[in-house]
Amino acid sequence: MQRAGMLLLPYARTRTRLLAHPSARLGGLLVALLVLFALVAPLLSPYEANASDFVHGLGPGDTPGPPSWAHWLGTDRIFRDQLTRLAMGARLSLFVGIGASALATLLGGAVGIVAGYFEGTAIDAVLMRLVDVGLSFPFLLLVMAVGAALDETSALTVLLLLGASGWLGTARLVRAKTLQVRAQEFIAAARALGLSTPRILWRHVLPNVASTLVFTATLAVAQMLLAESVLSYLGAGVPPPAASWGRMLFEGQDFYQAAPWLLAGPACLVVLAALAFHLLGEGMRDVLDP
Amino acid sequence: MIRRLVRRLGSALLVLWAVATLTFVIADLLPSDPARMIAGPTARAADVARIRAQIGADRPLAVRYGLYLRHLVHVTEPAAAAAANKTEHADCASFGPLHLDLGHSYTQRKPVVAVLADRAPRSLLLAVGAVTVQLFVGLLAGLLAAFRPRSWLDRTTIAATVVGTSVPTYLIGLTLQYALGHRLHLLPLDGFGRTDGEHLVSLILPALTLGIFGAAYYARLVRDDLLAAMRQDFVRTARAKGASRLRTLLHHALRTTLVPVLTVVGLELGALVGGAVVVETLFRWPGIGALAVSSLLDHDGPLILGITLTTSACIVMSNLVVDAMYVLLDPRMRRAS
Repeated sequence: MQRAGMLLLPYARTRTRLLAHPSARLGGLLVALLVLFALVAPLLSPYEANASDFVHGLGPGDTPGPPSWAHWLGTDRIFRDQLTRLAMGARLSLFVGIGASALATLLGGAVGIVAGYFEGTAIDAVLMRLVDVGLSFPFLLLVMAVGAALDETSALTVLLLLGASGWLGTARLVRAKTLQVRAQEFIAAARALGLSTPRILWRHVLPNVASTLVFTATLAVAQMLLAESVLSYLGAGVPPPAASWGRMLFEGQDFYQAAPWLLAGPACLVVLAALAFHLLGEGMRDVLDP
Repeated sequence: MIRRLVRRLGSALLVLWAVATLTFVIADLLPSDPARMIAGPTARAADVARIRAQIGADRPLAVRYGLYLRHLVHVTEPAAAAAANKTEHADCASFGPLHLDLGHSYTQRKPVVAVLADRAPRSLLLAVGAVTVQLFVGLLAGLLAAFRPRSWLDRTTIAATVVGTSVPTYLIGLTLQYALGHRLHLLPLDGFGRTDGEHLVSLILPALTLGIFGAAYYARLVRDDLLAAMRQDFVRTARAKGASRLRTLLHHALRTTLVPVLTVVGLELGALVGGAVVVETLFRWPGIGALAVSSLLDHDGPLILGITLTTSACIVMSNLVVDAMYVLLDPRMRRAS
């Protein structure tokens, strides 16, 4: 009983402080709204995201239809419901953003902890050279090249590519944090008690770098989400007809005068989504790593 | 200190080799047939096969990789090069006896080194313009914010930096293009122009786009670092001796802040020279970044390899310069090494 209480206490305190932090609160609220929009909106919408509506969706002179009761945010150039597509785009962005960030945090965390714990050895040298190579490699080109080499890209390949190329910064950060943790007495004590290295890493180092991992992961979601939209904008992301905010912006920019709503929606959502995770992440950093 | 630099140089070469190898494999995986690209879509199969044998595309990957590396940097006496078969050194850029051979671009029908030599100065121009904007706006905003922490000015700056890092570059670019180029007719929408004056005018929009995106990061960095420096003993001493807050900020704290700022400037410059892919594409700026996109879409293997190598070399070199600068700027580093 007492053990559970001791474990819970820091979490409860952190939660209280997070809720009291203005930017974390705003960020958390925005993230929750975004997730709700992504999950619920496509279910409530009477339209298919990839189906054209030639009955109510046509604007004057067969231009994209303006916002109306039938289509709240209008229709795109081939008369698909913009709001439904925005919601599907939110699903894609959140899936790629959160998934890629999780993958990058897993890889970066593992490499950072191992390299930091074995600082100065060959393992550290090899791992950090690897990070050096990765960081001097133009990541956008890498992702685009692999995307071009694969015949068919999907949301999953974009996620894997972004995750596999985005862990380098996390690895450096976690390594630096591990160096601090390793210098503390309880690690020496654990070693003196004869604990195995994996056990020390898992039970004693990992919990102490966990706070770093949590806020880097949150900030990384914003970065990955932006990267996905850039790839889609350049035409190197998830191929059509899948709805993606970056692609919607690219397709909408030709209609900036006839149908400005095609630009406003995805633009607002990209910025709002990145802002939400940035605010949440910054708040977490303030609370967890003062 | 010399030993440290030599070791860094060695590891830089190692990094470049790894990048070259990785790119070679990726470029090989691209579903394209260089022989068909050279011969054209209407060529007969026999001709395509002949060209394939000529350029060596029918040999195994390992052999082509070996040849690529051997050609990449080779040493030739100028006299021998002139005497040798002309086609052998047609794609080389020569620095005295040292030859750099990145191969021949299928789509541009020129040596890759020649294509890159055309493009690189324009990317450098854009990079310098962008970093100038970033530094100016970033330093100014950071200083203003740090002057009175927790004031409305500080809070606004922080809010602006968070928003600034949340907007993708192409969105900033599109907005500026619309407002300044389309509505107000102040600047050309895109392109590079023909005369020097036109180059400079065309530079403003892309440089401003990259500048705004990066300035948010600088402002935050400068503010946080200045505030950390203001809490240190030497600043408190200066304050105790009667220096005003403004003077300590500009004279004492800003100096220590310049080290991390210059680090970021160096790295940023290196990355930008290698091509700002998105902004160059958006503004049709004919630099390396725009070329990267088209070479990828065209599956032009040698060009892709050349661009990635150039970009990586720029990043690696700026890393080296930043490392050397650290030693110059911070005397403590000299003792440490």
